[in-house]
Amino acid sequence: MINQYAGISPKGDLLLLQRLARVLGGRSFLHVNSTREGGGVAEILQRMIPILQGLGIDARWETISGDEQFFEMTKKVHNALQGNKETITDTMWQHHFEINRQNAANIDLDADAVIIHDPQPGPLVEFKKRGVWIWRCHIDISNPFKDVYKALGRYALKYDAIIFSVSKFARAMNIDEFIIPPSIDPLSEKNMELSDDEINETAKRLGIPTDRPIILQVSRFDRFKDPLGVIKAYRMVKKYNDCILLLAGSPATDDPEGAAVLNEVKEFAANDPDIHILLLPPFSDRDINALQRMAFVVLQKSLKEGFGLTVAEAMWKGKPVIGGAVGGIPLQIAHGVTGFLVHSIEGTAFRIRQLLNAPEMAETMGGRAREFVRKNFLITRQVRDYLSVWYIMENKGKSIIEF
Amino acid sequence: MIEGFEFKQCISILKSTGKKAGNLHALRDLIAQVSDDCIFHHTYQYFLKEHILEYTNDFAHWAGESLEERSLAEQLSNIDPYEYDNISDFRKELLSVVGNYIEKFPEPREAMHGDEFFFNETITLIFPIGIRVKNLAEFLMAIKFVDVGSIYYHFYEARMRVGGGIDDFSKWIEESLEKKGLAERIRAIDPFMHNTEDIRKHIAEQTEKELRGDIEIMGVEE
Repeated sequence: MINQYAGISPKGDLLLLQRLARVLGGRSFLHVNSTREGGGVAEILQRMIPILQGLGIDARWETISGDEQFFEMTKKVHNALQGNKETITDTMWQHHFEINRQNAANIDLDADAVIIHDPQPGPLVEFKKRGVWIWRCHIDISNPFKDVYKALGRYALKYDAIIFSVSKFARAMNIDEFIIPPSIDPLSEKNMELSDDEINETAKRLGIPTDRPIILQVSRFDRFKDPLGVIKAYRMVKKYNDCILLLAGSPATDDPEGAAVLNEVKEFAANDPDIHILLLPPFSDRDINALQRMAFVVLQKSLKEGFGLTVAEAMWKGKPVIGGAVGGIPLQIAHGVTGFLVHSIEGTAFRIRQLLNAPEMAETMGGRAREFVRKNFLITRQVRDYLSVWYIMENKGKSIIEF
Repeated sequence: MIEGFEFKQCISILKSTGKKAGNLHALRDLIAQVSDDCIFHHTYQYFLKEHILEYTNDFAHWAGESLEERSLAEQLSNIDPYEYDNISDFRKELLSVVGNYIEKFPEPREAMHGDEFFFNETITLIFPIGIRVKNLAEFLMAIKFVDVGSIYYHFYEARMRVGGGIDDFSKWIEESLEKKGLAERIRAIDPFMHNTEDIRKHIAEQTEKELRGDIEIMGVEE
């Protein structure tokens, strides 16, 4: 399995993975989250578990189940950890615990190392049997709504360590806190190499003209992704350079807010034949891959963002990305080197024009972007880091570990 | 018999201290408090990063880019950590530079939310990469393709381990291959003025030059 990454991932990462597998091989490693499908956590676990198993680690992935009430409550917890004021009653916390207690009775929690992803299964730590228990927090909790943070903190502090994606998402907690950014899988449908024929066929099937440069943003129709700002920037560019704007996202049938934003976007696009709004069904990874590859420049003009892995996905395809300087985006884009960080609609327009007028610069930047992702944001690096943290926690107190 | 050179590599696992500074006063106070590992990470390990831009350590980078205190950024960049025998003395110098700046400009600006200075430390994992070379030609081959983490380990990290501003490469070249001239030329490469990729290029160039000299049996007669 790991051999498939030879020649793609940095050799050092693969060698260290093999070394770690030698010391951790045969031992058990359990991941628990709350969903098998949908969302970045499930996406990465689907790819990561086989890699771990291929390394000889007894890796398992379990999900907890819960009722509607439970997931409504955990959604509130999620929002509160990111700073929203939410009211969560004692009864709701008791229900949260009770659901986890029921799950603990059904899931085999016996493992040498356990990673619990996000707040939903957080209370499982109360049912810890043995091993190293790590809470993997995928969201920004640097400025949480205090009451909720305090209530959840009682569980968090029972873990041996916490992993955050970015330093700025963390806060002082009197517990070992590691920083491990998420990653993309270069072999997945979303990121694998595609032939020119397939890319052209996809463009044709989706009705996208390829006779002019394509400016692409792939994102949910969400105000924080600023789709109207993207259209405004495109209009500023269009006065000087002919181009196509492509906004691709999933239809938000279950999200009234998403549907409203989509309507606004359509209205604002006002039948401009060069603005293409694409609604892709779930599991359109291969089409998204093709769209990113046919684009000349990719935008992620977010106003608020988690890590923003779509940036790394586009960079992996050798594209210069123009991204809002929020969340994890500045960690991926070194301004002026692997892409551009922007703070305004005008800035976005200016950087698009700059790239359209200097295709050689765009190509150089895209090449550097791909290399940067290769070294920092591939799944092999994330597996390496998870296993390293496990090993570090079993060898506490050392700042240098030599194999 | 010549002792071979075994290439190793290091990677760092980042740990958050949970501490952050939003202005220079807080930066100074925290530089005084944080662990030696934390100071080491933000200064010596700066060169493990890919894109070295204008500065030579994280403190300078933050002062220049996030606070736009360019003069302080320049002063911090000019401190050579390898001049100090221990982190404690080096920390004193950092505190002195930041402290003097604050005395002159007592009301420094605040960083934007989310753009504060986040104090981290690392745990370093060192491992052999399965490459051992016995002569200069093999060394040249290896230096061209090892990961940058290996260049960092032998060229930067070694300075703390070996001491005296000496890197592993030049030490081996001098002691095992007895090529003092090449060792000195490699030592003359300024670690501060290059990123690890540039260091690789410079070492390869110098090594190639040495090898060319070794194989040329006849020069142009004067």
